[in-house]
Amino acid sequence: MKFKKILFHLLFFTCLSSYAQTKYTISGYVQESETGENLIGVSIYDKNTFKGTVTNQYGFYSLTLEEGNYEIIYSFIGLQSITKKVNLNNDIRINISLKNDAIITEEVIVTGEKLDKNVSSSKMSQVKIEVNNIKQLPVILGEVDVLKSAQLLPGITSNGEGSSGLYVRGGGPDQNLILLDEAVVYNASHLFGFFSVFNADAIKDINIIKGGMPAEYGGRLSSVLDISMKDGNNKKYQADGGIGLLSSRLTLQGPIQKEKSSFILSGRRTYIDVLSQPFLNREDPETGEPNAFAGSGYYFYDLTTKINYRISDKDRLYLSGYFGRDVFSFANSDNGFAIEIPWGNATGSLRWNHLFNDKLFMNTSVIFSDYRFEFNLAQSDFEFKIFSGINDWNTKVDFLYQPNQRHTIKFGTNYTYHIFTPGNATGRSGDVEFAPDEIFRQYSNEGALYFSDDFELSDEIKINAGIRYSSFQHRGDINILKYIQNDLTFNSDNYRNIEPRFSLRYKLNTTSSLKTSYTENYQYIHLASTSSVSLPTDLWVPSSTVIKPKFSRQYAIGYFKNLKDNMYETSLEAYYKEMTNLIEYREGFLPEDNTNQSSDNSFTFGEGDSYGIELLLKKNQGKTTGWIGYTLSKTTRYFDEVNNGISFPAKYDRRHDLSITATHKLSKSWVLSGVFVYATGNAITLPTERYVIGGDVYTQFTSRNGYRMDPYHRMDIGATYTPSKKKKKFKSTWNFSIYNVYSRKNPYFIYFALEGLEEDGENQNIQNGNVEPKAYQVSIFPILPSVTWNFNF
Amino acid sequence: MRKIFFIFLCFLSCQDEISLNFPIESQKLVIEGGIEQNMPPYVILSKNQGYFDEINSNTYNDLFVYDAEVIVWTINENGIADSVFLQPLPPPFDSIPIFTDINYLSSLSNPPYANPNGYNFSQVNKTYNLIVRWNNQTITSQTTIPTATPLDCLWVEKNEFSNRDYQFDVRAIYDDPGETQNNILIKYRKPIHWDIDTVNWTLEDGSDDFMELIDAGSDVLINGTRFETYFPQKGDGNFPQFPYNAERYKTYEINGVLDSILVPNDEVIIKFCQIDEPALKFWRSIVRQFGSNGNPFQEPLNIVSNIEGGYGGWTGYGSVYYQIPIIDGFSTNTPLPIGSIEITDVF
Repeated sequence: MKFKKILFHLLFFTCLSSYAQTKYTISGYVQESETGENLIGVSIYDKNTFKGTVTNQYGFYSLTLEEGNYEIIYSFIGLQSITKKVNLNNDIRINISLKNDAIITEEVIVTGEKLDKNVSSSKMSQVKIEVNNIKQLPVILGEVDVLKSAQLLPGITSNGEGSSGLYVRGGGPDQNLILLDEAVVYNASHLFGFFSVFNADAIKDINIIKGGMPAEYGGRLSSVLDISMKDGNNKKYQADGGIGLLSSRLTLQGPIQKEKSSFILSGRRTYIDVLSQPFLNREDPETGEPNAFAGSGYYFYDLTTKINYRISDKDRLYLSGYFGRDVFSFANSDNGFAIEIPWGNATGSLRWNHLFNDKLFMNTSVIFSDYRFEFNLAQSDFEFKIFSGINDWNTKVDFLYQPNQRHTIKFGTNYTYHIFTPGNATGRSGDVEFAPDEIFRQYSNEGALYFSDDFELSDEIKINAGIRYSSFQHRGDINILKYIQNDLTFNSDNYRNIEPRFSLRYKLNTTSSLKTSYTENYQYIHLASTSSVSLPTDLWVPSSTVIKPKFSRQYAIGYFKNLKDNMYETSLEAYYKEMTNLIEYREGFLPEDNTNQSSDNSFTFGEGDSYGIELLLKKNQGKTTGWIGYTLSKTTRYFDEVNNGISFPAKYDRRHDLSITATHKLSKSWVLSGVFVYATGNAITLPTERYVIGGDVYTQFTSRNGYRMDPYHRMDIGATYTPSKKKKKFKSTWNFSIYNVYSRKNPYFIYFALEGLEEDGENQNIQNGNVEPKAYQVSIFPILPSVTWNFNF
Repeated sequence: MRKIFFIFLCFLSCQDEISLNFPIESQKLVIEGGIEQNMPPYVILSKNQGYFDEINSNTYNDLFVYDAEVIVWTINENGIADSVFLQPLPPPFDSIPIFTDINYLSSLSNPPYANPNGYNFSQVNKTYNLIVRWNNQTITSQTTIPTATPLDCLWVEKNEFSNRDYQFDVRAIYDDPGETQNNILIKYRKPIHWDIDTVNWTLEDGSDDFMELIDAGSDVLINGTRFETYFPQKGDGNFPQFPYNAERYKTYEINGVLDSILVPNDEVIIKFCQIDEPALKFWRSIVRQFGSNGNPFQEPLNIVSNIEGGYGGWTGYGSVYYQIPIIDGFSTNTPLPIGSIEITDVF
């Protein structure tokens, strides 16, 4: 009864706001004037009433207002705002180009005012990262890394030194939905996790959602990293590039048909293999002796490309793709031994934007995503290969409907066909092939329907309410016809769930608001890892009869306050997240036991929770910008079959996590930057006892993750120098960075050695001699200066 | 993969010794025990120690426990509990305490290292309970002796891929019974073997005194199949997941060390056993920790014990023994008869 009352009131307000007066709609696209790049998140609002909206990820906006005269402001950080005087007496289309500081014309009115999105939006626990801003921050070995920058935000932690893995509000690395132009990226790391796969030159925008996940996103428990690639300059040809210590990159973009279609092609490659070549020559240049390790090396590369085509004012097409590979090889000619380990992602997205009318926008996508890992071993006539991976075919349709300025309705559906290759082995010895009759694969269907409305109930209260209905079917090689006929629905490993999403903003005054959110999420695919770090060997496995979908429920509340005309944004958020059906490998289970078969019985299942407080103080404007982020949190796991059933801290549990970043524009040529981070040490498991069986020493580990390593802290500084060459087409910048300025020896891992141990083959035999157990802490990345030269013409 | 990752890190890392000390929470007994058909049970007792405790020959010897009361009991065919008290072997065989049925061994013609010949207490498909009382603690366990599954045949053949005439393999055909889930454990000893002393390039006695664990695994992958396999060396592992692979042995040979290859006139004893599920978990964890010891990126793995109140394992073996002389063309399908099995191969 109560629910009906609320529903009635909601409908009443909707109708009231819709029909009280005659209304018209202003809609269009907003782009950057120099490049024609669609701009995401541009604020469009009436100067007097502050009623407004923002552009979606395709740069489209729709604003419905009552008949009348308005001064509509288009505002985007880093670009000049534009104010348009509008006499609104019919639906109108206004496409806007925003210019940077160097270009001012008489037609535009420059305004310093910004819509107070931090306070007025119903969204919470979301952060947008401007790629141009992070390019000025100091970076390790000259590599700009969007994921490492994300780790500087409160609520997001790394797994330790150098890792680009993300751990959001107590969730594991598989609980993050990482999207590149809507395609899922399953392994976002190059170089064993030290760098992310995203080339910053090709990226336009990163939106991070760590709580209050809107209904259009799903399939993961903890977060969304929605990364949009640049569309390509549709006005002129342009080249950007950079030469760094580890890698170089080049981006080409330009119009295919001016202001109608454009392309961007971006590539990056390391030269670690080239740099290490002198040490791995086939022969020693002095002695002429053959080098047993010739042929060993490592490199990675990635290619990103996108083409867009404006069919008409109402239809646009986007085709984008990513292909990246890491290849590690090791050879030892002394015993004819060679291994090669390639791994990487490939994604492709074809998207069609269609504008039905000024209020209804549609995006339809067909998406391909592939991650694969291989381990190839060869020794004379013997060859051995292990391979695994996951491959997705995904189609989705999303609608955006903005009937009036109080409602933004999103609805849509998506379907993904997953093909898992969880671990297969083949071999050859001479002419004899060892291979399974067929490659072991698992097939799953994942689907979802969603609906959400972001609506303003009153000037104070704004609600974002949504619901997501998700389903997952897993049963070997799925017959599509049977699936359509619903023949598979009675299998016990078919899952159907409803995921409510809700967030509410209560505006206290023009500069502050209170927000709260509640979300439920299901996750149907899981990453199985036997390592304490994320490695490419980790396996993606589907939910099944044995492996139930993961589930999380998150509550969050926050206070948001802007100061000094929005120069400063502050927020204080508290969250509590509980998770069930988390998976771990059973103790004593070997991953190779699953070769060529399902790994379902390898796992044990448990629960987890995480709670914490996050503080963010951000300065957006002025010569000095940056932020301070602090998180106080606790993350715990409960598994009956792990740690004797006693709760234990998750390995990425951090009590304290502090990040300070600052960028200061010293002059037209120089920009200085600095980063300081402090985090509670990693929770790890250490051996506490040992005993002897059969003359060999075995170790007893006690409480899981029961030992804390020393805290992690470091400071990085950087400077970007832009030579002032006015009116010259060729521009360049120099980026100087010093990583870990005071060369803090941060613990990376601890290992143990029994010194004095008598080696007896592979035995650790302690019967003879004095043996001294010792512990060593290994640190990586001491002070590391780097320089990168970037160019543009 | 983790090793490769480790190699990569070596280029960028530095290390410092740190001081850690974790005193043991409680003194626990470590049990290494077994029982197999027609053989007396045995138990070796030792204690745990702190990870950072000093280790030398004295502290090593102090780990062993001689003053425990050890009982093995079962329910006989008449439904009555039948038990034996185990005692440590007397000097000069007491360098480590091997608790066994001294009364039985004393009754043999050449005690205590005579070959047992028909020990009726230990029978296939029976469950055996272990009770150890020590230091006001009572430690218990239980295991079953499964039915032994012999190999169809074994033969000696020159390594297919070696260009050396003296390198041989022991190969076999195994027919896995499909109706039961059985778990395999293999031990191995070379009573006759010569190694190369790589300093003086002379031959030296490389024979083994005791059986060594080769591998343990379930038949989940091979259930009900008949296939040709080979007997890997220690550390080689993976029986019976992968088929015969002569190439592995070639590696050892290339390195110029004959320690791990079989040459003419060597002799091999293979102990091929079936074990129950709890025992398999114990032995699998032994194999796994042995392989991952010291790897800082490996999730820590404790030995999975089937001992209540202590560490270690109590295993019932359904075993067959084969004695294989390394003679080109030798083949057999006959396990060693009970009286020919040395008691040291049982322990």
